[in-house]
Amino acid sequence: MYPECLISGARRWLSRTMRGRYVSAAAAANSPFPGAAPRRFSDRQKDQEQPKAFDPALLEFLVCPLSKKPLRYEASTNELINKELGIAYPIIDGIPNMIPQAARMIDRKAQDEEPKQT
Amino acid sequence: MAASIGAVVYRALHSRRHRKLLSVGRGLFSGARCLVAEGETHFGFQKVSETEKGEKVYHVFESVAKKYDIMNDSMTLGIHRLWKDILLHQMNPYPGTQLLDVAGGTGDIAFRFINYVRSQWEHQIKQKLKSHQNLSWEEISKSYQEEELKLPGGSQVVVCDINKEMLKVGKQKAQHLGYSEGLSWVVGNAEELPFNDNKFDVYTIAFGIRNVTHIDQALQEAYRVLKPGGRFLCLEFSQVNNPLISRLYDLYSFQVIPVLGEIIAGDWKSYQYLVESIRCFPAQDEFKGMVEDAGFLKVEYRNLSSGIVAIHSGFKL
Repeated sequence: MYPECLISGARRWLSRTMRGRYVSAAAAANSPFPGAAPRRFSDRQKDQEQPKAFDPALLEFLVCPLSKKPLRYEASTNELINKELGIAYPIIDGIPNMIPQAARMIDRKAQDEEPKQT
Repeated sequence: MAASIGAVVYRALHSRRHRKLLSVGRGLFSGARCLVAEGETHFGFQKVSETEKGEKVYHVFESVAKKYDIMNDSMTLGIHRLWKDILLHQMNPYPGTQLLDVAGGTGDIAFRFINYVRSQWEHQIKQKLKSHQNLSWEEISKSYQEEELKLPGGSQVVVCDINKEMLKVGKQKAQHLGYSEGLSWVVGNAEELPFNDNKFDVYTIAFGIRNVTHIDQALQEAYRVLKPGGRFLCLEFSQVNNPLISRLYDLYSFQVIPVLGEIIAGDWKSYQYLVESIRCFPAQDEFKGMVEDAGFLKVEYRNLSSGIVAIHSGFKL
């Protein structure tokens, strides 16, 4: 069983590197495969953007750990807000921090801001 | 009283017939160092309050995060990779599985899951290609496209860890290795998961549950977030059943590992905590009972490397 993992892993690595070379060569020569775009460059760009951006697809899974209610993503402050409890969870480097202790500090700030708005 | 217990244990240790007593005796000795009062818990062999344990564990992993993978390889001589591969084989995920990897820190299980699902998909496509002899260029290019843009079948893996530093290391590793789609990172507490009920097909926790302060709460949360039919898998250090290997293992754990920790990661104490926490974690059968208490059915365990590591599996039915 274990040699299979190693062999399949090696095979996968080989196919990935071979495909990469073929794709970049094909792209240069106007490839007959319309779908296989020069993958490396666009992926590198995506990788540079990803650390800061938050993936909204996560919202499908995430809820407040305390009340288990859905959250709202606030793009301006880059936080996930639970309106009911009045707490916000910070997102640092694209990773949401869902520890209740991390959120309570921002709670005071949110409560301070609200009376200013009204 | 102590003398009579001592006599029993002495007889047990020196009798070839009573092998079971031998392991119980040893268990008593190491277990005795792990007995705690109410409201207290163990941090390795130290007794600490429950709130303190969380903080101490956080600091341990914060300090070892950057060298975590190198240390794993040197401590286990690379065998941890095989253990994790076996866990994935036991999981046998099909494309479309939603995985929650708790205490997944540097992402080892998540990356293996992605590779496994991708290779399953490739296998399925090859089967399809074999049966359809005439495929147009469009169909072939479409199959390449699907593979590269997202995970086959809509598989998703969410890596949850209480420690930001471990997740940062994991995220960097992912970028370095080229894993981007279908993979999410969340900072969360295993005892209070930020996920809704009945969300995931598989819940894994590899080498993480012994660091959790309230293991029963973590197990209940695992039960909550799994879909009906979902599988709980726990890969953890456990008690060795072979007396000779146990002695060698103890020697290696207490003499070699903290030294390696000091040389490679510059942190003796964290690795001392690590080996002590392994001794204080319940044995295979006791942990099986805890998993059953959380509501899981058909709970089984499988020993790897004569019990150095065990995989516990349960289903939410």
